[in-house]
Amino acid sequence: MRGRLAQGIDDVREYERIAGFLKIARRALANNAFDGVLTTIGVLMGQYMVGIRDASIVIRIGVATSISIGISGLWGAYLAESAERRRELAELERISLTDLGETKIGRASRMAVIVVSLVDGLSPFVSSLIVLIPMFIAPLIGNILISYALSIAVALVSLFGLGMFLGHISGRSLIGYGLRTTVAGIVAIVITALLDTES
Amino acid sequence: MGNLRRLVLDVLKPLEPTIVELVQLLADLEGVDGANISIYEIDRRVENAKVTIEGHDLRYEVITDVIEENGGAIHSIDEVAAGMVLIEDVITPQD
Repeated sequence: MRGRLAQGIDDVREYERIAGFLKIARRALANNAFDGVLTTIGVLMGQYMVGIRDASIVIRIGVATSISIGISGLWGAYLAESAERRRELAELERISLTDLGETKIGRASRMAVIVVSLVDGLSPFVSSLIVLIPMFIAPLIGNILISYALSIAVALVSLFGLGMFLGHISGRSLIGYGLRTTVAGIVAIVITALLDTES
Repeated sequence: MGNLRRLVLDVLKPLEPTIVELVQLLADLEGVDGANISIYEIDRRVENAKVTIEGHDLRYEVITDVIEENGGAIHSIDEVAAGMVLIEDVITPQD
């Protein structure tokens, strides 16, 4: 069992070396988690402004949005990545005059599509659910307005965390990157709030 | 049938997996004593490699399977040697 697991990990590492999907997946993770958090900020602000004070409605709309954004990420990435990978494999097959579908290269290419699609789909889905956590525990909190405020706070903290992740990748300032991504969230909140005062 | 002792193949392979990985996979095969891969032409996506394998009992099918599994295409078999003693190519006056 352990031997098979170790072999499986070795295979994934080898496929990663061949197809180089880690970098793409990392980019997809940051990009799509960012999308998920910002979309949920919009959903929360919208619901707050139209006067929804029932956590179960917020959760339903929020989860529906998370599912849609997750499917959007998964589907879009699957189609784009598989088209790109097929083209690359076909080019390699044309040059080498060999069918590479059942070789290590073919399998690495298919694994790249699966990994990138899953990361693309799951990262916005999970990140938007994280932002909704205060709504899930709204009965414990007792006051829906506090849940709204906490959800926005969780969103801003998540954005800061994502920024730090990007800072870590680039080897630059974690705080600097964290602040940049957080500002995006604040901008979204302020613009949505301004729309409310004008209408 | 006499045991295969040396095999020299002309292989066209993608740049990944690298020859470092491929040569180790070949060297690990049963009956192989050593392997060498040298690149004589390199392109944007593929490279031409001369694969030399020596051993006491080489299995041709297993070797070709490993090369093909790693995306290589065998273009030609350039040299083979089999038997109890490893016989080198003999230079004759015609050469």
